[in-house]
Amino acid sequence: MEIMIYALVSVRGERGELDVLLNGIKGISGGHLYAVSANEVAAVVSDIEQSRFQADRAGAIEYAGVIEALSRQFTLLPMRFGSAMESTEAIHQMLERNYPGIDQNLRQVENKFEFGLKVFCDSEKLRTDLMAQSRADNPETTLPTSETPNSVYKDWVNKKLKEHRLEELLLKHVDSVISILTEQLTQMNAQCKFKKMSSESMIIDAVFLLGKSLKDQLILKIEELQNRYPGLNFILTGPWPPYNFVEITIT
Amino acid sequence: MSENKILFNSGSLDDLSEEIGKLSSEEKSKLKLTPDNADSGLAKLVLTLVELIRKLVEKQAMRRVDGGSLTDEEIERLGETLMKLEMKMEELKKHFNLTDRDLNINLGPLGDLM
Repeated sequence: MEIMIYALVSVRGERGELDVLLNGIKGISGGHLYAVSANEVAAVVSDIEQSRFQADRAGAIEYAGVIEALSRQFTLLPMRFGSAMESTEAIHQMLERNYPGIDQNLRQVENKFEFGLKVFCDSEKLRTDLMAQSRADNPETTLPTSETPNSVYKDWVNKKLKEHRLEELLLKHVDSVISILTEQLTQMNAQCKFKKMSSESMIIDAVFLLGKSLKDQLILKIEELQNRYPGLNFILTGPWPPYNFVEITIT
Repeated sequence: MSENKILFNSGSLDDLSEEIGKLSSEEKSKLKLTPDNADSGLAKLVLTLVELIRKLVEKQAMRRVDGGSLTDEEIERLGETLMKLEMKMEELKKHFNLTDRDLNINLGPLGDLM
């Protein structure tokens, strides 16, 4: 028997309310949820038979469901799916050992939600447009002309150079979108994390942590960006628990 | 989790569905080393690293060519070297029955290697 940990919850004077909430929701495989606490932090856990535990999609959805339900009422740090310890005593000791870091991280995410933004493009079309724009701005240059005729190797370098320039143009374009986005979000006091070019079509994969009350303002900002870049497809999701803003390493 | 989590989208959600689909197929891009496939598993790991380094070298070389700091002769030699490296990689991939996708190992939260 092991004990699965779903989240670390801030329970400043609200331990009783947490217990009430936990009575109303179920853990993985219908497991009973309970809290193990230290000072003002509680780990929400359920007992789990290690031999019966399957780290599959259904389990992950149930796990996320518990975290989501908790996040509506409490400030929390989600744990990675499948995090488990051998006893409540071990969990208690872990909380005490890591208390300052957990407490600090909980304060950072207090009254905030995570939002996700994915920006997609028609990769082929965007590349063509950028290339055309670049040609218009600067008539294209290949390798410096020389007295010797082009060899197969030089032709190869020329081909690679064109691909390289196109990639650079694409990155510059993505950076310009990120720069405008960052400027807008900084005004809302948001924390942002960006990944560029996660795939051919997904040019930006970003997460933001910002005040719960700023959701509508964020939607408006994204709408403005969409109007500014009609060739891109902006998809904003949320609110989510702060999955990407857990900054502590449990020891 | 019944709440609608899509707050804004202007067009189709096909791109998003495709990305989610890729997550479930990421298993294929993970390195699986077992006693039965130690040879091919190791080849995949080694070739992945070689390919990563080759691409970095190629990128750096193109930056230098683009910067205009290389002579005609240097560009010629660079082209020959990089082209031969690319061809050799293709041979090795074929030999070990690997594709470009196989060499793009998924690093979990960090995304794909290349």
